[in-house]
Amino acid sequence: MKQDILLCGVGGQGILSMAYVIDSSAMEAGYFLKQPEVHGMSQRGGAVQAHVRVSDKPIASDLIPLGIADMILSLEPLESLRYLPYLSAAGGRLITDITPFINIPDYPDPSSVYGQLFQLPSVLLVNGSHLARKAGSPKAQNMVLLGASSALLPYPAPMLEKHLAVLFARKSERLVHINVNAFRAGRAVSGFQQILSQAGVPIGLIARLLPWLDFEPWPVSSAVSRAWVEFFKSPAACAATDALWAERKVLPLDEEAPRKLLGG
Amino acid sequence: MNGITVNGMNRQILLGDEAVARGAIDAGISGAYAYPGTPSTEIFEYIHSQSIQEELEIHARWSTNEKVAYEEALGMSYAGRRAIVSFKHVGLNVAADPFISSTISGVHGGLLVVVADDPFMHSSQNEQDSRFYARFAQIVCLEPADQQQAYSMAREGLDLSESLNLPVMLRLVTRLAHSRSIVALAEPRQQNVRSLCPDTSYWTLLPSNARRGFERLLDKQAELRALSENHPANQLTMSGNGKTGIIAAGIAQGYVQEALGDRLADCNLLCVGFYPLPVDKVKKLIESSSEVWVLEDGYPFIEQQLTGEGMHRGLKVRGKVSGDLPRSGELTPDLVRAVFGAAKTPAVSLPGIDKVVRPRPPVLCEGCPHSDTYQIIREATRDYRDVRIMGDIGCYTLGFYKPHEGLHSCICMGASIGMAAGISHAGFSPVLCVIGDSTFAHSGLTPLLDAARENTNIKVFILDNSIVAMTGGQPTMATDEAVERIVAGLGVPSEHIKVIKPLPRNLDDNVRVVRDEIEYRGLSVIIARRECVTYYKEIKTAKSNREGESR
Repeated sequence: MKQDILLCGVGGQGILSMAYVIDSSAMEAGYFLKQPEVHGMSQRGGAVQAHVRVSDKPIASDLIPLGIADMILSLEPLESLRYLPYLSAAGGRLITDITPFINIPDYPDPSSVYGQLFQLPSVLLVNGSHLARKAGSPKAQNMVLLGASSALLPYPAPMLEKHLAVLFARKSERLVHINVNAFRAGRAVSGFQQILSQAGVPIGLIARLLPWLDFEPWPVSSAVSRAWVEFFKSPAACAATDALWAERKVLPLDEEAPRKLLGG
Repeated sequence: MNGITVNGMNRQILLGDEAVARGAIDAGISGAYAYPGTPSTEIFEYIHSQSIQEELEIHARWSTNEKVAYEEALGMSYAGRRAIVSFKHVGLNVAADPFISSTISGVHGGLLVVVADDPFMHSSQNEQDSRFYARFAQIVCLEPADQQQAYSMAREGLDLSESLNLPVMLRLVTRLAHSRSIVALAEPRQQNVRSLCPDTSYWTLLPSNARRGFERLLDKQAELRALSENHPANQLTMSGNGKTGIIAAGIAQGYVQEALGDRLADCNLLCVGFYPLPVDKVKKLIESSSEVWVLEDGYPFIEQQLTGEGMHRGLKVRGKVSGDLPRSGELTPDLVRAVFGAAKTPAVSLPGIDKVVRPRPPVLCEGCPHSDTYQIIREATRDYRDVRIMGDIGCYTLGFYKPHEGLHSCICMGASIGMAAGISHAGFSPVLCVIGDSTFAHSGLTPLLDAARENTNIKVFILDNSIVAMTGGQPTMATDEAVERIVAGLGVPSEHIKVIKPLPRNLDDNVRVVRDEIEYRGLSVIIARRECVTYYKEIKTAKSNREGESR
């Protein structure tokens, strides 16, 4: 077992908290760990990243070499693209929040950022800010994204949730509750992606759809899953998904939504 | 902290900085002294928080600057107890005076000097390499390769310091200081009992005493070299005559392992973690190898010693001086891979990505009081030509960038006031300068005293946000009325000490105050006071605690 993850985002978004949960789980699972991170000046709204290296054998370098990362897990879409030279061409996955964090005068047109993301062979786009607000705090965006990556991590979800709870218990029980729900909503996103992907829905279409579904802190029901699989069998699904992406409106996660989207 | 026990061993996830701190605690320190600075800040922070949590009897308080920190640590050592002093590389410049002379006096209780270097200047104004300081001072420098070694070397450094009667340096680089790994802890050692050194002549560096002290230091050099030859951190592994030789110092050991993997077993490898260099081992490596690669993060410290600044032409030494590796910046596993011709692992690439991705430099936070101060200064100086605003070190240095464009220099802690005076002496006016409350306490008092004595025509802005913000919200030494009292005490007339609150709604009034002071030909101090927005809660808590104490 060897997993190299590049966590990234903008200073202040909560990258180090994500790293804490993964690190603690890695230690509990008995793995070796190296995890360099950024402190200091960049934490004032600059580009911030952490490398998380986990293995069942000793790890030599703290830094992940270029082209080696198994995953980029990002809290901001532009930041997710910054570290592509690290992402392995052999199956590297990118998971990112879709909400731009605009604090530079020359932030690119977000559509050009998404345009790049849609070209990736393996990408999961998450509406972390929406799901975090829904869970009770916009700051829980990082735990939504951690949840969305959790199916790919070599730790059981309860182990991750346990360490997440330890982290937030220092602050309050209420925050533990919010962040666990955020994590679970994120996990529901990736579970639903797997269902659609196994049903043969193209990755680019899934990427356009998922940010606009109102996930709950539990897995998507089989009835709703079936309804969406049916949706993608329609020849109009592609255009309807594009329209949904353009409209940027969150749909309820029920059986009716896909039918309505097709104009039924 | 995050730890578990496996087979009776206490294992914890620690930053490199925290591993050093834990090592020092477990070696029985009685005092920890520091001034915050990236990438060293977390060393002291860990000791401070753990001494509260574990109820340890360790004196742990931030110091006003690195020189004071060093002197406090040296005093603790004088009294027979162990101490750690930690700061960033440029902090050692500030502490250089007591540092160098303490190698002449020697120490009594163990004294560990931890210096965190910042190759690539992630958060610094230069990338000086502290190993040169250790060599200059003629003391031992330990350079850990990983977090586990950072822990054990901190412990060892304190033992060694006591047995050699010399301060010992431990050098970190950013990537180790700020990287976490699992560290196994050993049984902690008791603190020393306090005891004064009986012979005060060691500590009183009058020329006659100092000459004897310097001879003692020179006499110890042979012992240091012998220790280096036999030290387990300086391991020489020979695979055969004529093979490629590699010297890997500190964190570079992991990079060369990562880059070469199994191929490393076919090289002659000398790991270096203890300085002065193990000269015999280096000679043996050079004699037996076809060429010698020197891999080190920082300046070409080892490489230059091997080549005698290029005088040994016959020797095939490759590294930064030879031009095989970049002379500046940070060593990375990718650079090491490239020099050994390892194939690049293909990464995901997208056409047109370069047009989309652009840099995201750090910025002042939304609502930051410094932004308002820069706006006030901009408005107030609008009608003047050749205005210079000398800057200093802190979040407000970001005011160099658009949209503020509010400062014209940043050299070192406290330089803003002295440099402003120099520009005024050269005949320019108006000359302004900006300095934060903590930087002012660190190094701003002495130049302001100079300016007060001659009533220099400069306008000193003290940006009092009540916290050390850039390094993560450490307490400041002087804020609020204390700043005014210090400024007045230095001799600045009270009618030219102005306090303003930098808020958008006060803009016009504030601009008027500043314009009036600019029109006055003499020294003015304008204290722009508003709490940092990012650490607002922490500041309020600290202030109410202080009020509680004083009641």
